[in-house]
Amino acid sequence: MLTRLSRFGLSLPRTLVGPPARFVSQSKPNENVGSTAMTELRPGQPMTGHEEVSEYTKNPDYYGFSSDPDVDKSNMKLAFFFGVSMALVLGSTFVAYIPDYGMREWARREAERLIVQREKAGLPLMDENYYDPSKIILPPPKEE
Amino acid sequence: MMKILTPTLMLIPLTWLSSFSHLWRPTLSYSFIISTLSLTWIKNMSETGWTSLGLYMATDTLSTPLIILTCWLLPLMILASQDHMKTESQTRQRLYITLLIFLQLFLISAFSSTELIMFYIMFEATLIPTLMIITRWGNQLERLSAGTYLLFYTLISSLPLLVALLMIQTNTGSLSLTSAQFYFSLIPQHNFLWLACFLAFLVKMPLYGLHLWLPKAHVEAPIAGSMILAAVLLKLGGYGMTRISTIVDPISKNMTYPFITLALWGVIMTGLVCLQQMDLKSLIAYSSVGHMGLVVGGVLTQTSWGYSGALILMIAHGLTSSALFCLANINYERTHSRIMYLTRGLQIIFPLMAIWWLSFTLANLALPPLPNMMGELTIIVCMFNWSWWTIIFTGLGTLITAAYSLHMFTTTQRGALPPHITSLTPMNIKEHLLIILHLLPLLLLILKPEIITCWSS
Repeated sequence: MLTRLSRFGLSLPRTLVGPPARFVSQSKPNENVGSTAMTELRPGQPMTGHEEVSEYTKNPDYYGFSSDPDVDKSNMKLAFFFGVSMALVLGSTFVAYIPDYGMREWARREAERLIVQREKAGLPLMDENYYDPSKIILPPPKEE
Repeated sequence: MMKILTPTLMLIPLTWLSSFSHLWRPTLSYSFIISTLSLTWIKNMSETGWTSLGLYMATDTLSTPLIILTCWLLPLMILASQDHMKTESQTRQRLYITLLIFLQLFLISAFSSTELIMFYIMFEATLIPTLMIITRWGNQLERLSAGTYLLFYTLISSLPLLVALLMIQTNTGSLSLTSAQFYFSLIPQHNFLWLACFLAFLVKMPLYGLHLWLPKAHVEAPIAGSMILAAVLLKLGGYGMTRISTIVDPISKNMTYPFITLALWGVIMTGLVCLQQMDLKSLIAYSSVGHMGLVVGGVLTQTSWGYSGALILMIAHGLTSSALFCLANINYERTHSRIMYLTRGLQIIFPLMAIWWLSFTLANLALPPLPNMMGELTIIVCMFNWSWWTIIFTGLGTLITAAYSLHMFTTTQRGALPPHITSLTPMNIKEHLLIILHLLPLLLLILKPEIITCWSS
């Protein structure tokens, strides 16, 4: 009766209005009918309330980290500090200022220096013998 | 090497010993610290290419970007999984994080090992946490069959690799990567050896035709499973192929033809499959197969441009596809549906989210300044140089990639909102942060591309 009254816009205290489930009649569970619910596969999942209840109704400043507002805020700050301030800002600064990645600049400098040196000495730019052949001592050829 | 491996290992006691109410906080912070520390590997001052060379582990310019990507993915996975795990019990949450940490441990060991047999063991070991994550935390019953597919495709294809490695060990007495160029002439070159060495990686990539496990695994996996699978686990295949191709070098010139053809054909076919997908996660998974087809093509041409392009595309695709899976999951958590036609027109409700969708759609179709474009273009040029017929496939593939990426964007974001969507929870800061942490590294890579392009054999 009270619930019906509330339909007409009459605001009633919650204690007076019972949950609408009271009026739903349910047939008694029949043991002969097999259940289609796959409870064996996903046990131990407590259904804590309806999923669609927004976290924002409980905590308007919800950041998405925890349902506890204090933990939520501190987790957010930590995630931003370590993720953005440290990993991205410090990390990219480190990477941007790495000297001479893969020693390419050194190789270029060294090559230019060698070219000048060899041109002055009148030598060809590249020698087919990378090592001086006189310095390589080979083992004596085996006598077959 | 130990400066990353030890903290990663110590994350496990941290996960089990920290109090439950603060479980996600220290793991997230410490994994961010580990990923920052891993950046020190970029400093590569050696002439041989190998740095932090230990007895069995070392990094070079090929493995460093992939290891850093692995380290970067752990905090992102932790960040992404929080909502998914909220209803789980304490032990299961801890176990979930532990599995993710183990995955990182195995992946770092796989990427940094210089012994091929250790690489093989770690390559196989990554299967165990992945399988557990998919079959335990997946959303539907089909996750069990997805787990079976994942396990048996990968295991059956990698058994020949073990036999091949044992054969190489018997013939040469070494499986070290650092000295591979000195002993590979001792290996009896045979077509079957080449096939045995490459099959495991071609399935892991996956090559078109051997890819059926991937969309299943992606669709059924929880968000962290999809992220790590798309971002790093597929790249194990590309990495392995690049490494092993230096060992079985002379023979592979003839053997690569059918596989390059299949890979390029796969780019087109998976693109067409994407165009008719209803399932958002399945679409992203098939798009991964297509992109990995380009990587396979790039690696198999065995030119320095091919290798370099493959590495760039692997890193860029790792961040892009992981972010796309995150976005799909954010939609899924609100609408509880992956069907694209039931979740369309979301731009009206989540305008900022539409910007993230647009950014990553454009990254997926390789918009110019992004590294995705650098990678694809390098591979396309390299393939064109190999045989100019390939431009038909790569060109058509690029066109279809653009088509399905835009199709994905317009379907999910544009148009009228379907009438059954009445109230959705707003986006929160954590989700925006998650996407930004994917997007910023991708953008920052443009400013210093040499850290992901510098590899050539």
